[in-house]
Amino acid sequence: MTGQAEKTLSRRGFLKGATGLTFLLGTGGLAAVRADADTAAVLDVNPWLKIQADGQISIVFPSTEMGQSSYSTLPQILAEELDADWDDVVIEQLNADDRTFGNPSFGGILYTAGSTGVEGYFDPMRKAGAQARDVLLQIAARELGVDKGTLVTEPSAVVAQDGTRLSYGELARMGTEGIVIPDADTLTLKSFEDFRIIGHDIPRRDVFDKSTGRAVYAIDVTLTDMVFACVQRAPVEGESAVAVDDADARAIPGVVDVVVLPDGVAVVAETYWTALMARGTLDITWSQNSPHRAYHSQHTLALYASQAETPPEAPAVWAEKGDAPRAISDADQSVSQSYLSDYAYHAQIEPMAAVAHVDADGKGAQVWAGTQTQSWTTQTVMEVLETTKDRVRLNMMTMGGGFGRRTAFVQDYVRDALLCSKAVGRPVKVIWTREDDVKNGVFRPMAVQRMAGGLSSDGKLTGFHHRVATPTVIGFFNLSRWNTVRPNDVISMRGAESKFYDIPDFLADHVITERQARLSPYRGIGAAYTGFAAEAFMDELADAAGRDPLDFRLDLVQDNPRGRHLLEKVAEMSDWRNRGDRAMGLAFAGYHSSMAAGVVEIALDRDSGEISLTNMWIAADAGLIVSPDNAHNQIEGGAVFGISCALTERIDIEAGEVLQSNFWDYEVTRANQVPPIEVYMAKVDAHPTGVGELGLPFVPPAIANAFYAATGRRLRHMPFTPDRVLDVLNG
Amino acid sequence: MTKFTLNGKSVDVDNPPDELLLLVIRDQIGLKGTKYGCGAAMCGACTVHVDGEAMFSCQLSVGDIEGAEITTIEGLSDDGTHPLQKAWVAEQVPQCGYCQSGQIMRAAALLSENPSPSREEIVDHMSANLCRCGTYNRIFKAVERAAREV
Repeated sequence: MTGQAEKTLSRRGFLKGATGLTFLLGTGGLAAVRADADTAAVLDVNPWLKIQADGQISIVFPSTEMGQSSYSTLPQILAEELDADWDDVVIEQLNADDRTFGNPSFGGILYTAGSTGVEGYFDPMRKAGAQARDVLLQIAARELGVDKGTLVTEPSAVVAQDGTRLSYGELARMGTEGIVIPDADTLTLKSFEDFRIIGHDIPRRDVFDKSTGRAVYAIDVTLTDMVFACVQRAPVEGESAVAVDDADARAIPGVVDVVVLPDGVAVVAETYWTALMARGTLDITWSQNSPHRAYHSQHTLALYASQAETPPEAPAVWAEKGDAPRAISDADQSVSQSYLSDYAYHAQIEPMAAVAHVDADGKGAQVWAGTQTQSWTTQTVMEVLETTKDRVRLNMMTMGGGFGRRTAFVQDYVRDALLCSKAVGRPVKVIWTREDDVKNGVFRPMAVQRMAGGLSSDGKLTGFHHRVATPTVIGFFNLSRWNTVRPNDVISMRGAESKFYDIPDFLADHVITERQARLSPYRGIGAAYTGFAAEAFMDELADAAGRDPLDFRLDLVQDNPRGRHLLEKVAEMSDWRNRGDRAMGLAFAGYHSSMAAGVVEIALDRDSGEISLTNMWIAADAGLIVSPDNAHNQIEGGAVFGISCALTERIDIEAGEVLQSNFWDYEVTRANQVPPIEVYMAKVDAHPTGVGELGLPFVPPAIANAFYAATGRRLRHMPFTPDRVLDVLNG
Repeated sequence: MTKFTLNGKSVDVDNPPDELLLLVIRDQIGLKGTKYGCGAAMCGACTVHVDGEAMFSCQLSVGDIEGAEITTIEGLSDDGTHPLQKAWVAEQVPQCGYCQSGQIMRAAALLSENPSPSREEIVDHMSANLCRCGTYNRIFKAVERAAREV
């Protein structure tokens, strides 16, 4: 046992209750820690699972659920190697910042973002399952007096050569005397072709509750004696209330208190309706000295454009191969172009809501919230209450959408609930109205991308330079992280690496501009806009080279057979070669190591400037697909999100205030704007890499490229709103 | 006092008559399947039936529905076996699920007046409700499946 393992063991208190068998996930994988010989009612095999005497198997779900279904998918990975009957499995939400279960893709932080769940947890959860299965085989061998090698498992049972069956529940009762705990790293895992759960369409666990109104979100939590809070927030970041006249509010029956927060004023009342009405009567004088009052998004974009052209300091290199600037200047033909994109808002349909019940001493709390991170929610409670981790009791609720909205290091909606509960001594539910959420949103940053490419005389791409002028997102939403990773901001830059192409000389660099709005990761993170610039520009290069957009790209994937397959597949699905004068556009983008080639077909109303999609085909490769039907749903959902950010989603800021306020001026794609979408998922024998973001990045450039096919003109400013489309058509 | 019928049962509430029906259903009566999304008739997460018609409960004051028959997702069936609910499960529609009560209530109103709608009619009718996860094509398929089975 390592020192670290011992420490972790003691912290988790694993030995309480003298369970039969305990393992531990150490830094080097799963390590055997202890095997008790006593007969136990529960087989507590390792921290990831427990097997009850009645055969019930509980498996820890270490992430949080916002619609991506890792709530079902991650436990399936463990259940597969355990060879469990999925019907025996109950899923146990992890409700603490217990780094035993940390996301390997985020340095052990409990963090659900960036399509990393399945990719990061695939190996550790398989090993945890395999280790438990080996223990069950050993117990069976001992009981039956046979060699372990003669035994096999079937779902939730060990079966001997003579047909004797011992269920996992029976084995859990039989005790662990003489059992040797295997090092999980030495166990042979199943071959992919032997999978009974992974790769099969196991229905999601939450669909029935979500189809009957029974799923409980943070906004639904109700506690005895609970009151409601509604917050009037400062109109501009950086301002606070300097004077509050709350006499009218306090006079309203049912108002419990008015609580001044660092950036707003909360009304706490017996009902949300009363809180909402009383908020309207507050007379608040706000400070006037925030530098954010000087910010206008149009000026911001102009600033970024000038800095993309003439960086004030050397840009941070994001990805580099050879000497792209030289290759471009030496090329037979060079092309350059700029692409712009606006702020975008997450528009998750459940508004920000949290319930907090602060302890009487003000130094501890129970919290119900939907967030993408147990770690930073715990951190938020610790900071707000100036307390220690052991005083934080979390209830991680299923979320009505995340998309990056709920990832921040300090979670202001949780903070609101804590401060209000502390002030009134009762449980408090805070609900942000939709307007509160839009006005106080944390946005995908604006970006100006300066693209340059060089072509040989025979129409081949020789050099490619992708410059992104945008702020650091990490530097705002998680400053301590930024101090570790700077100047590399994966949130701002993801996708600019164009890693699926083999380009002889390549450079992607980041002009880190001034932040002039609250920022956050957003679905697709950087690839939501870098994919647009890279793949719309790729079509411009193909055009300059006199090549078909498909052929031009196929040249660049000769060393990427999986990518080549996707391009060929989507061409076949969409009948690309015979498209004639149909308004079709192709793009090949992806996210991290997952790839998607897509084709869209559009219709254009030249009078209104409205673009509509009539068809979409997607060929995707995300490695091994754990849950195919869900992956299909995620990829399609990402593509619909992509339509939305390509066509309508736009936040404007004037004098530091967000102009939009609700879905009537921040338009999200509706049912009648969604085309038939055909999704193909490649079957490959490779580590899974994630599907949540994958459907999005190719969509905006594919639409821009289809628009070019229809009109001979280029859309270079996202979103492609009707006014912009008309400007391009008439320009 | 406002008196109305909710999921087949008579109820009396003493909330202020201008209070939103949505909040009365959720916080006074305690049925949480109906969701708040925008408060502006733009997202449809709060869709309920008022005398059989799909309406935004965030746009109704409780005082306005005196005597009306209100049905929420909890009243669509006792046990989740309404054809639409079965179709939602069969097509594995939901992702985050937050909008889906409203989607199902919207779809149920369509099927009750038009038992075999065309795809175009479904798309048109369902465009009142937003799904940010982008499950629209599955919603269409589920409505068609339910229509076949009604």
